[in-house]
Amino acid sequence: MITIAIAKGRMQESALALLARAGVRLSEDEVNSRRLAIMDETGQYRFIFVKPADVPVYVEHGIADCGVVGRDVLLESEADLLLPLDLGIARCRMVVAAPDPEAMTNVQGMIRVATKYSQIARSHFGSRGIPVEIIQLSGSVELAPALGLADMIVDLVETGRTLRENGLTVVEEIAESTGRLVVNRASYQLKADEVSQLLNALTTAKS
Amino acid sequence: MRYYIGAEARLRRTVEDVAMSVFEGWNYEEVITPSVDYYALFEQGMGQREAQRGFRFTDNDGRLLALRPDVTSSVARMAATLLSERPRPLRFCYAAPVFRQQTQSHAEWRRENTQLGCELIGAGGKAADLEVLRLAAEILSRLNLQSQYCITINNVEIFNGVAAQMNLALWTREQLRRLIDTREAAELQRFLQDCDSREGQAFSQPTQLTGKREVIQTARGLITNERSVAALDSLDELWTEIESLGLQDSFEIDLGDVSSLDYYTGLSLKIFVHGAGTSVGRGGRYDGLTGSFGRAEPAVGFVLNLDALTEVLGRKGTRG
Repeated sequence: MITIAIAKGRMQESALALLARAGVRLSEDEVNSRRLAIMDETGQYRFIFVKPADVPVYVEHGIADCGVVGRDVLLESEADLLLPLDLGIARCRMVVAAPDPEAMTNVQGMIRVATKYSQIARSHFGSRGIPVEIIQLSGSVELAPALGLADMIVDLVETGRTLRENGLTVVEEIAESTGRLVVNRASYQLKADEVSQLLNALTTAKS
Repeated sequence: MRYYIGAEARLRRTVEDVAMSVFEGWNYEEVITPSVDYYALFEQGMGQREAQRGFRFTDNDGRLLALRPDVTSSVARMAATLLSERPRPLRFCYAAPVFRQQTQSHAEWRRENTQLGCELIGAGGKAADLEVLRLAAEILSRLNLQSQYCITINNVEIFNGVAAQMNLALWTREQLRRLIDTREAAELQRFLQDCDSREGQAFSQPTQLTGKREVIQTARGLITNERSVAALDSLDELWTEIESLGLQDSFEIDLGDVSSLDYYTGLSLKIFVHGAGTSVGRGGRYDGLTGSFGRAEPAVGFVLNLDALTEVLGRKGTRG
């Protein structure tokens, strides 16, 4: 048996749909119940549903053998995991956005950046040698420039609607993010057959 | 920061005793090295990046010291200086705590870990490599972990040969190494397409990098440079020996184990045990190490993490 941690929310639905196509089915009732750990119909896989940021934690400690989580979360966590498969689901972009399209050159002095993803923001600006002040928020980041808390934001964008509605434009794209299958390093060796079976099934299902 | 009390402490002691008695049975002499030494020693022994994970401090004269982040550096220096006249090979074993901060894997949160380790110095070739592999296997089966462990082996020269042949800049080489290490199949294929190298293709399918002997066969189909072929040959020969000992079920070849290329010069190995989320041991050949202390000679060894083993065995015990 292998345990798979699924990121709750945005990722969950498309991840379960993909798994179903790969022949791993969960009963509807169990998914809708409030139980956090459920088995698939064959009893081969156990699923746990956790907050996105917790997926790398469970997998890195080997509590879950595999996980499905967005690349954005992985970049932020810097966990030591194997990333064998891009599932191509829940596609979105990590971007720098600002009210002024020329913000990068126009801001005087230290640039203030509001974000939920401080690690990604720090390394993005750091790698280009741009000094910034990172302001860590936990939600509604788009508000920050309008209220004068920050000059720009680093955030995840799916359609760009929220940005437009708040008068922001994309200044730079940092990375594209899709759902990834992540695997614990020890499980990859110790449960090699089961993991590669899952890998193959998912590879076939996504194409 | 961890306390062991009563039964747990006893179990830990037993694990240590088992390992040390296996080492002793193979004629390994116990060695006790200083806990505090000059930082320069570890930088020379482990390379700057690893050594910087050690706890560093100065004494009253301003000399930079460190709590030992590994034991191998001290043993290598001892072999090259104090024991330079002793006939080779030298066999040493130890059970000693090492201290590190900001470990790479978040799961290995402990700052203090006790290593059970051995070093075989002054002996190269297949026989020496096989000796340490057998030692590791014997310790694990004496701990009743038979059929619950997996030792992965690789020869880092396979990757090094291919990278040299592809003529990669330092930074691109590191990028390729990282993609193989984390098995990012899609990115890896994109990367290799840009490089347009036939040999590089050997690494394009991460799932084909791990397995038994067939892994070597697949790699041979694509890799032709001399350096890598020699490494594949020696890995092949080692695998034959493993099979003739009947240990092939506990061993696995993993050409994707490229995590510490700067340190190892040939064989590299990692030890996994069911119930532990990270590897519980690692090792390999480091022929370049003693040279940095003034006497170049072949050396091979491995360490097991006593704390991780105790935890796995303790949990198994309480479950019955």
